[in-house]
Amino acid sequence: VTRPVLRRDHVPGVRGFLAALVGPLLLVGVVTAIAALVYQDDTMTEIVLLFGINAIMVVGFQTFVGNTGLVSFGHVAFMAVGAYATAIVSMDPLDKQIVLKDLPGWLADTSLGVAPSLLVGGAAAAVLALVTGAALMRLSGAAASIATLGLLVITVNVLSQAGRFTHGPRALFGVPDDATFGWVFAALAAAVAISAGFKWSRAGLRARANRDDSVAAESAGIASLRARLLPFVLSAFLTGVGGGLYGMLLTAFSPASFTLSLAVVILTMAILGGVNSITGALAGAVVVTVINEVLRRVENGVDVLGVHLNTPTGMSGAVLGVLLILMLRWRPEGLLSANELQLEAPEPPRDAPAAEPAVPPPAKGARRAGQRV
Amino acid sequence: MTNFIQHVVDALSVGSTYALLALGLTLVFSVMNLINFAYGMMLVWSGYIAFFLTDHGVPFGLVVPACIAFATLLSMAIGRVAFRPFIGAPPITLLITSFGVLLVIQYAAIVLFGEEPRILTLPGFFGDVVTVGAIRVPMLEIITIGSAAVVVAVFYAALNRTAFGAQLRAAAELPRVARLMGVRPDHVLMLAFAISGAIAGVVGLLWFAKAGAITPHADLDPTIKAFIALVLGGLGSTRGALIGGFALGALEVALSAMLPDAALGYQPAIVFAAVIAILILRPGGLGAGRLEPAL
Repeated sequence: VTRPVLRRDHVPGVRGFLAALVGPLLLVGVVTAIAALVYQDDTMTEIVLLFGINAIMVVGFQTFVGNTGLVSFGHVAFMAVGAYATAIVSMDPLDKQIVLKDLPGWLADTSLGVAPSLLVGGAAAAVLALVTGAALMRLSGAAASIATLGLLVITVNVLSQAGRFTHGPRALFGVPDDATFGWVFAALAAAVAISAGFKWSRAGLRARANRDDSVAAESAGIASLRARLLPFVLSAFLTGVGGGLYGMLLTAFSPASFTLSLAVVILTMAILGGVNSITGALAGAVVVTVINEVLRRVENGVDVLGVHLNTPTGMSGAVLGVLLILMLRWRPEGLLSANELQLEAPEPPRDAPAAEPAVPPPAKGARRAGQRV
Repeated sequence: MTNFIQHVVDALSVGSTYALLALGLTLVFSVMNLINFAYGMMLVWSGYIAFFLTDHGVPFGLVVPACIAFATLLSMAIGRVAFRPFIGAPPITLLITSFGVLLVIQYAAIVLFGEEPRILTLPGFFGDVVTVGAIRVPMLEIITIGSAAVVVAVFYAALNRTAFGAQLRAAAELPRVARLMGVRPDHVLMLAFAISGAIAGVVGLLWFAKAGAITPHADLDPTIKAFIALVLGGLGSTRGALIGGFALGALEVALSAMLPDAALGYQPAIVFAAVIAILILRPGGLGAGRLEPAL
């Protein structure tokens, strides 16, 4: 019999590893089931899909921030690159002739399916992370955060100038409307599995060792750059896939769609849930989405005791800001801190036969033999 | 030659704005390791107050001190409410807290002033152009360079010639020893936020005198420029802030002047790439001689 528990670390051994993988996936299953119920309401379909995509992005973000302790603003850049790359390879060649006339021939004729397109989007973001990460991951702390902000500025600037591939600062439209419920939540499950697999791998442990004490980790033979680069690339891949789905949800977007405010939402979700936990990332995505949705209805005007209240738009931002500060003040590690949901067998009772040592105590003769040596 | 002098004046003017921005940020950073994302929003608030006052017919001579006073008080209020409880928290926590502060004061600006751009009306002489030989210098650039010189002079005098300044420097250098000597960290923090706010008040006026329109989302550009100047010069030192600010201004003006037209659109990307390259070669920034990575 297994039961879900919250643990910081998994039980050693293959079974413990599997239990740690299945736990977050179980949560994805529950979240997906609830989302499927809400999805039945026609007014909620967009919000459910956006939630799923945000959840992918938060899991991707957590994969980097949780394992390395560096805060990145560059993840919006990976979203943007993922969205553009996915759009370019998935669009109908006829649409491309209208929007992207100057595309090189081999790209102009390609029109891939949903899964390959998303993989291309993720791969493009991963390549960007690999190239820039080799430089960015040498920096630490605040300097690293600011440099990733620079990556965002550079990416948005290049995307709006490279008109041949991106339609420039104008909107890229005609992106296939393929962000369906199935694809979004399948991608979420895959992202969670990949992220958990990394977290409990040796590479994940190396990254966290570097996060906790880089000097000690270096002296134990863990190179800082490599330890950080792998989570950076992996998390860029996940974020790129999320960005690809985001583009397919919007169907028309421009470089201006990828602003720092997207990073704020993702960051808030990750911090509220607990930035060191994948389970926390999912929990944070749920909490922030629910709050946002409630506030959106308030912004549209609600009747409280017969009085019609109307607030200017943007209130959700302010409420998230206050929540962020209160959370950091009173529970800086987030709702779940570093705990993960895991499926685990209850420990066998101490006096059960299985708990006895497999090797019987040595006989008298053996002890004498030992004394002679 | 005249072209070159023209560019140097441009670079000085742009650079002095950036240097002031970085100076305001570095002070708070040196006391509590805070990278303040809400800093640009204080500029925006200063701009809005200037807009509100000039719109109501207050003479410009009163608008300037009013803006500085307002930004100082706002900065101190934010420091007291949002940041003081976090003294000693890790830098990442502080960074994210400042994000929260940004969201709140941005929303307050949206509620009070709305999303539409507000145009700052300035006295006529701001638009004048001074001609010296073949060189034409806009009055605004002269005002910018002049105000920057005054602010930096006052700043250094306050930091090096007053008891408050000595306390600030002590707290930044060796917080624990300063505390043992009776320097209260919360007082020092409030002082740092006050000076940071006063500088934001001045830069806010200069920034929006140049940019023209004030919107609730106009904070991002100055914030990013300030950050880049800050890390370029070296985090946590006033010298580094000044060097970083002027270096960033020079880099921007030089690229605008030298890039071929086809590449001009990529100017921001090239500037940032250059800054990141410099950071990798000298992680401590241009102003620092040390080799350790900046915090």
